[in-house]
Amino acid sequence: MSWLSRLINAFRSERLDRDIDDEAQFHVEQTTEELIRTGLLPEEAAMRARELFGGRLQLREASRDAKLIPWIESLVQDAHFGVRILLKERSITVAALLSLSLAVGACTAAFSLIDALMLRPLPVPEPRALVGISFQREAPFPGAAPRDDSFSYPFLENAREVSGGRAELFGMTVWGPLQSAVFDDGTPEPAPEKVRIQWISGNGLAVLGVRPMLGRLLVEADDRPDEKLSVAVISYGFWMRRFGGSPSVLGQTFTRNDTRFQIVGVTQKDFSGVEPGYLNDVWVPLMAYGSARSLRNPGNERFAICGRLKSGVGPEQLRQTLQAAFTNFRKEHASELLRPGTSPERIARYVDTRLNVNSAAQGHRTFLRWQFERPLWILATVVGLVLLIACSNVANLFVARSAARRREMAMRAALGGGRKRLLQQVLIENCLLAIAASTIGLGLASVFAPSIVGLMSTTGDPTYLDVHPDGRVFVFLAFMSLLTTLLFGMAPALRASASKPLDAFKDGGRQSARIGLLRPILTAQVAFSFVVLFVAGLLLTSFYRLTSVDLGFSQKNVLLFEMDLAGTLGAGGSGVRAERARALQVEVLDRLRHFPGVQGAGTSLFALMGGATTPVLGPPIRFAGSGIERTRPHFLTVSPGFFATMQVPVLSGRDFTNPDSEPPMPNAVIVNQSFARQFFPNKDAVGQRFQRMIDDDGSFGDLEIVGVVHDAKYNNLREPDAPTVYQPARGVGSAVEVRTAGNPISIAPALRKLIQQVDPSLHVVRMTLQSTHTGETILQERMLALLGGFFALVAVMLSAVGLYGVLGYSMVQRTKEIGIRMALGAPLFHVVRTVTEDVAVAIAVGITVGLAGGFASSRFVSSLLFEVKPSDFGSVALPLCFLLLASGLAAIRPALRSTRVDPMTALRYE
Amino acid sequence: MDRQDSLNGSIPLIVLKILTQRGPLHGYAIGAHIQAMSDDVLRVEQGSLYPALHRMEEGGWIKAKWIQTENKRRARLYEITTAGRKQLAKEEARWSMVTAAVGQILQRA
Repeated sequence: MSWLSRLINAFRSERLDRDIDDEAQFHVEQTTEELIRTGLLPEEAAMRARELFGGRLQLREASRDAKLIPWIESLVQDAHFGVRILLKERSITVAALLSLSLAVGACTAAFSLIDALMLRPLPVPEPRALVGISFQREAPFPGAAPRDDSFSYPFLENAREVSGGRAELFGMTVWGPLQSAVFDDGTPEPAPEKVRIQWISGNGLAVLGVRPMLGRLLVEADDRPDEKLSVAVISYGFWMRRFGGSPSVLGQTFTRNDTRFQIVGVTQKDFSGVEPGYLNDVWVPLMAYGSARSLRNPGNERFAICGRLKSGVGPEQLRQTLQAAFTNFRKEHASELLRPGTSPERIARYVDTRLNVNSAAQGHRTFLRWQFERPLWILATVVGLVLLIACSNVANLFVARSAARRREMAMRAALGGGRKRLLQQVLIENCLLAIAASTIGLGLASVFAPSIVGLMSTTGDPTYLDVHPDGRVFVFLAFMSLLTTLLFGMAPALRASASKPLDAFKDGGRQSARIGLLRPILTAQVAFSFVVLFVAGLLLTSFYRLTSVDLGFSQKNVLLFEMDLAGTLGAGGSGVRAERARALQVEVLDRLRHFPGVQGAGTSLFALMGGATTPVLGPPIRFAGSGIERTRPHFLTVSPGFFATMQVPVLSGRDFTNPDSEPPMPNAVIVNQSFARQFFPNKDAVGQRFQRMIDDDGSFGDLEIVGVVHDAKYNNLREPDAPTVYQPARGVGSAVEVRTAGNPISIAPALRKLIQQVDPSLHVVRMTLQSTHTGETILQERMLALLGGFFALVAVMLSAVGLYGVLGYSMVQRTKEIGIRMALGAPLFHVVRTVTEDVAVAIAVGITVGLAGGFASSRFVSSLLFEVKPSDFGSVALPLCFLLLASGLAAIRPALRSTRVDPMTALRYE
Repeated sequence: MDRQDSLNGSIPLIVLKILTQRGPLHGYAIGAHIQAMSDDVLRVEQGSLYPALHRMEEGGWIKAKWIQTENKRRARLYEITTAGRKQLAKEEARWSMVTAAVGQILQRA
């Protein structure tokens, strides 16, 4: 019999017993027949045969020993016993299971998110050889996403040339918004669809190692400038979603701006792009991005450069090659790329910028990754702490329980159970619990993870992260089970295995009345809880402060939408198009304003509160006869009625009117209070003039202030009010704002229809609420506040349960002592103190340690905090009060019970 | 000499030998053969026979399968394996050596 069959036998010992019995039965029957033949009566023969055979039970034991690896059998036995014990002490088991599975589930969810966004390599051959290049750059304004990976097409070509022997490089667009494309599928007036398009060098997909599922990938020959008919490759997912997986997709076309693209291939199934968090739909050749002229412009920095190292080449070798090319390139073009009059130090800094070669094995560093890297690690730390709390909680419960089982353990030791065997028994129980908790945890994680992805998504551009449990998640889960078993199981196991046979016969086996081992565990638990509470408190406070910032405008009942104008404006000279755009603005806004339930309508170049991705630095301005030059205030073009719609009060002067936007160059502007205060202190700004740079060539145009409005937040909630210039819009911007009397959602469909009535080719492509749009600038903060708050609650609850358990245990342990004290006339207060003293000390130490830990860890969240400091009184006082309150509540019952101990009962207790 | 069961370590040798000669047999038949072939001198207690069979099965010298007898009873047949044949050769050699040595001592002492 093989090792395997022995293993199987271990798990079906009943079956094995039956086999042995059957064999014995057969033997007995054979003997009986034999005896009958010799002349015995059947009954007599049967009896005699059984006698001859001997003890069947002994045979069973002897044979089983041969058939089983006794150790495995003992494991199974212990497991059976463990399950019985776990089921018997149901309340402890449920408490342990609940806290562990919650914590394991949260950790697994955090892991699968971090894995999907940051750790999982791209599904291409040898992802380790993939690299991306970037350079160091200061963020243009605080909180801005660093765009440190955009290069111009001329530099891309240059880099490809010089790196020839070391790596194959390619360029691509990244961080792009969804694009509108019109699919020519035979329907009249096809509506534009939102698709994610990536422009990529002809060799890009091949260098990545992507395989085609259908048709072909892009090739170098596809990558030509100024093509009216180009080609496109679509992703497997998009093929399924949009075309239902039909093979006739090859040859179909779509139009974006003025270029038609013909679909020539579908990529492999598991490849959804190189930007984790976003599903790419379509790849088109890089040179289709713009005209040949705009591609030639070295100032047009639009492309990320990635590539694959040739074998044997290290990133540093490539870096040195590229650095030389980069420095030369910048030296050569510095005069065109920097504004005239840039200081020599700035030029030197610009030229000497360091270039980096980073691994791109996990894909390109996306906006999403930039945005959520830190929040996710913070989340992971918080749930890790919750796991530690849960483990210490279970350890507490088990130590307390093992006290109750000390007699059992001692009895087993007395009966010859080895120390190892006792340890095994306890470890098996722990394993069972850990496995059960992991299974439930996995279920919880598959609910948690997608909901967290939901918290990371914006309405217009939902985040896609593949968080379904895969092999990596299972490995993580197995590791977690092992870790938790060790963490919560070690203390009780060691304690159990130290059982001495004599304890079984001692009176109840009480060794010490102190809580002993429980104290350090309790201290740790309180410390961890305090850290979680402290950090969560900071995050919640700053989220609250962010949401109560005075915006300077009212976002209640404001609907935002974006229109696709490409089809409506059509072809024609720029003058014709501009005139049409202006007329369209007037008509659209007019229709909207007269719609029942609409209180105001306006349009702007982009919506207020665009967040980190919106460009915010306007052109430089200057004042005639003033020393101030090259100041760069915010600029925004807005239509008449915009301020009324957003309820930004006009403080002096007037709002824009339609004639303000008529040609020639409009020169009426409205400025905000900050602008007026900063540049025209002590006088009326209305009627003042200044100049703005028109083009990068250095020419300036005159502007005249016709009104001053109240300060309003421009880009995000964190920025201080800054000087802002509003110019009259000459068309419909990418945002139309509508204020409604009631809930805007209810008339949204009617508004869509209204827009279609203006012109059938006009389409609303994105519709959202201003409040949602504003909320999306603080997604990270919101996610952390919600999850931080949730896990803080969990942590406190766990701690309270743990404390309750420890106190209850300590109380039971000392019933006799309490009884004696009371019999001797100790006051109630002293009795309560006896029970709670140890625990109070543990809590105090825990809070002190936790405070230190909290301060240390608050450094990691400081970049996400807003108007709150770790050293604020409230930051410390709130979690402290909360924790003390929870501890107090947990302590009430055990403390009260200690006062009700009847001395006589207590002394007779044993 | 009493009928005896102090076969000690020799059960495997005997069982293996019987199984090579007679082909697959159930436990009862093996016991019966031992008794018959030793002219009733050797009798194996079931209490030692079955554990011995199970140990040998464990060691891979014999293998077992369940069959239905004519009167529809489950019987377990034992059969020698290749490893068992090798073991038999070894045990036979050892047995001859030991008995020869014991005989020598008995003669010379």
